[in-house]
Amino acid sequence: MNVRRTRQAALVACFLTPSLLIFLLYRILPLAWNVVLSFQAWSPLHPPTWVGWDNYDEMLNDDDVFWQALWNTLIFMGSQAIGAALALGIALLVNSDLKGASVYRTIVFLSYPLMTVAVAIIWRWMYNERGGLIDYVLRQLGIIHQPIAFLDSFSWALGSTIVANTWQVLGFFMIVLLTGLQNIPPHLYEAARVDGAPGWARFLRITLPMLRPSLFLCAVIGILNSFAAFDLVYVMTNGGPGHATELLITYIYKQAFGETRFDYAAALTVAQFMLLMALAWLAHRAAGGNAGAIE
Amino acid sequence: MTRRETTLLGVRHAVLVMISLVMLTPFYWVLKTSLTGENIYAYPPSLLPVRPHLFNYVDVWYLIPFPRYLLNSVIVSAIAVSGNVVLNAIAGYALTLPFPGRRAMIVLLLSCTLIPFQATIIPAYLITAHLGLLNSYLGLALPLMSTIVCIFIFKASFEAVPRSLIDAARIDGLGDVRILLRVLLPLSTSAIATNVVLAFIWSWNNFLWPLIITRDADMQTLPLGLARFLSYMEDTTGALYAFVVMVLAPGLLVFLMAQSSFMRGLTAGATKG
Amino acid sequence: MRRRRFLAGTVATALARPAIAQTSKKITFLSWNIVDQAEMFKRWFAAFQAEHPGVEIEWLDKKGPDVPPFYQTQLAGGTPPDVVDLQGGIGIEYAAQGALLDLTPYLQAHPDVKARFNPDYLHNWVWEGKNWLVPFYIAKTLLFYNKTLFQKAGLAGPATSFDELLSHAAKIGSGGEDQTGFLTLNFDWLYWALFRMNDVELLSPDMKQPAFDTAKMVEVTEKLAKATAGTAINKISWTGRWVEPLGAFASGKVGMLNAHSSAYFFLKGQGAWINQDTLGVGELPGNWSVPSLHGYAISKGTKNPDLAWAFVDFCTTRKQVEEMAQSRRILTAYTDVDNALVARLEKEEPLAHAVLATQLEYTDKLCGNWPLPNDSRVKDAFYPELQNALLGRKDAKSALAEASRKVARELRRV
Repeated sequence: MNVRRTRQAALVACFLTPSLLIFLLYRILPLAWNVVLSFQAWSPLHPPTWVGWDNYDEMLNDDDVFWQALWNTLIFMGSQAIGAALALGIALLVNSDLKGASVYRTIVFLSYPLMTVAVAIIWRWMYNERGGLIDYVLRQLGIIHQPIAFLDSFSWALGSTIVANTWQVLGFFMIVLLTGLQNIPPHLYEAARVDGAPGWARFLRITLPMLRPSLFLCAVIGILNSFAAFDLVYVMTNGGPGHATELLITYIYKQAFGETRFDYAAALTVAQFMLLMALAWLAHRAAGGNAGAIE
Repeated sequence: MTRRETTLLGVRHAVLVMISLVMLTPFYWVLKTSLTGENIYAYPPSLLPVRPHLFNYVDVWYLIPFPRYLLNSVIVSAIAVSGNVVLNAIAGYALTLPFPGRRAMIVLLLSCTLIPFQATIIPAYLITAHLGLLNSYLGLALPLMSTIVCIFIFKASFEAVPRSLIDAARIDGLGDVRILLRVLLPLSTSAIATNVVLAFIWSWNNFLWPLIITRDADMQTLPLGLARFLSYMEDTTGALYAFVVMVLAPGLLVFLMAQSSFMRGLTAGATKG
Repeated sequence: MRRRRFLAGTVATALARPAIAQTSKKITFLSWNIVDQAEMFKRWFAAFQAEHPGVEIEWLDKKGPDVPPFYQTQLAGGTPPDVVDLQGGIGIEYAAQGALLDLTPYLQAHPDVKARFNPDYLHNWVWEGKNWLVPFYIAKTLLFYNKTLFQKAGLAGPATSFDELLSHAAKIGSGGEDQTGFLTLNFDWLYWALFRMNDVELLSPDMKQPAFDTAKMVEVTEKLAKATAGTAINKISWTGRWVEPLGAFASGKVGMLNAHSSAYFFLKGQGAWINQDTLGVGELPGNWSVPSLHGYAISKGTKNPDLAWAFVDFCTTRKQVEEMAQSRRILTAYTDVDNALVARLEKEEPLAHAVLATQLEYTDKLCGNWPLPNDSRVKDAFYPELQNALLGRKDAKSALAEASRKVARELRRV
């Protein structure tokens, strides 16, 4: 028994090491670099000096762009939840032996394999006031009479980028939720139907709880999407107009490479990391506290 | 089927068709713009291509070394995908076994997803330089050779295999590795397919990393080509959109070829339980 | 662990790039989005190598927004490109970061090279009394105007004062049919001439304090905001990037456009109505303009500074400059070449001639080009607030006060 345990432990170590090594090199060490840098004043001309909480102080007390970006990022996360809900609806529709289900599934997922830069170019074109489809349709339907410059508008820019993002990631949520739906044993539904439970009760009592691991995965994906949205925002609006579409991720990048403030960008990265930890932890609790596992 | 069931089915199809149209419209709009002969900025835009022509595509083909970039993207993605399937499967399996610190390891891995690439550019570059992998295919693929989401997909798939099967295998005397290879993996085709598709998408579409670590023009991948074209041409003509179509086509084609087994793998899961 | 090393070993040997032989000298040249000139550059490199045997030239081209992350990582890795093509304020920023080589000694040692350039343009990159870049592609803002719309509004020609400019814009804007009077580009500091012509200063002479929180600045901003709220100034002026403003002017519905000469080719491509009789070219009131220049810099970390200089010298030699000017139809700050090109265009393409001629005039009235070591930060501190005021989201006084506070903070940080 002991031999087996040690052998198993060695196996675990062996199997985890390659992946861990990659994450160590490309995520953990860089994060540590960021943490250290966030407490320093970086300059290309001389070695970094220690400044304690200065960067964080500026970020929290003297930077409205940070708060704007934070707010936009939270809105963006919220939109991910809506996207997941929509995807759940679609997944339920294409579930089971519906004729042509695979065709529908493929069509919905088709937008995900696209390069985000390409998606941004495509949607920027869709939103164009002259040659774009959206203004054209709205005007033809009589909903508006003057073209709206969606991406140049303080009120519409963020929503417009969110629509583009949702279009791109809907398929991904759908796939994850479909896999989860497929894994629910049908006999649970049978038993419930026999007991006389109506459709919505079956949904709330059986489907949703059994989907918890998949929903948690969707939350993680939502976070990944907010990173991938970098390309979307960068190409569609570059954070503008003003900072109406600035996300934390774009703000970090601009501080690092636009204004060469690596120290401040590091502080922003750490702040974003903490925010996402909090969100992930909330998702973990909402998923019943057993992240990623199926019982 | 009863009349009510038929109506419901009809409604279901109608909704799905509408959703499909909405999802496909942007594709169509870009395709139309790349083919149309009108001034694309004139209002109102026409819904069908006017005097369609393929000249934009010809322009693009001659403008950049498309085949070379395509080859680079293929090689990098091949490395990334194969690395992913192997590394993620074994890591996912390891997470299903009991070991001290398992909880902490799961938390650690999940926290790694919270670190965006943009924040890691300079350290990642320096590390890759130390490894001597700048400007190489392996260097391009390395950061993406294992992904946490996919590890968890494997883990979830392995855990969904009935305990009875695993116990039976252990009684037969199969060791952990054999259990993975003979019992778990064959039942996890959907997870493998998902892994392949996602790893392919993420490595194929990666833009910022190749930008940073390739110096030679002929080591560049396809997304970089798109970006270069974008700036040079701006949005003046349909040529930009022809280029978008050409960049998206290979990825989409590969996906469409793989999607049947990818999607089939999903329905196979319905027999579990 | 083993598996990875094995994989790394085989694949790396099979696929990694071979190391460049250390015996030959190598220069890396990073250009900013000139990939369309590949043929020309290949010829240049061959000619340079003929003059300098044993030298290898590595050419990298990145588009504008990609240059900073690429350059910074190369710098962090200790392998910055030897010769870099930089645009505008980034030149001074990188110089202030210590990334660039001081070119003053080279220019002093080669007065013939220095004499090639228009001194005002060369002066664009002087910081702390030293030269950091030499120009090779110049453009500055000018006024494009739609003669048809002008005639329709009963206007003879471009305005000669700020208030007249606004009244012209108002007249055209009131012509109905989605017309607006005036549009400007807003990136970098391209709109600054509008303020400079009113004798407003952004910074104190020593560039340590903001100097724009004044009644005059508030007045000018309020006038512009009022014009933007109506149809005199097109709102895209303050929110658009490149395609939107130029596209709007090219659609024929805007009376005046403040843009630099590079815009001309885009406009001509987009606007079928544009020809000599319909497109007017002129200067803004006061003849103020904002330059947008590209120049060559040498990285301080170069291993072959003299060779890098020889390369820069070569690229700015008359023959090469003429080739580039001819094939890209650009001005280069090489005075003789520019004058010759403009003269030739007078017969061949009168409209292009008119556009490019403005680029060589009034080079003593350049503005919006302060040699700031933290240009992008100052821009980011200033512009969003100004934008708020111009779009009526905030009143001018408080917006400018806030901008002043933020700019002061950035200047303190230097």
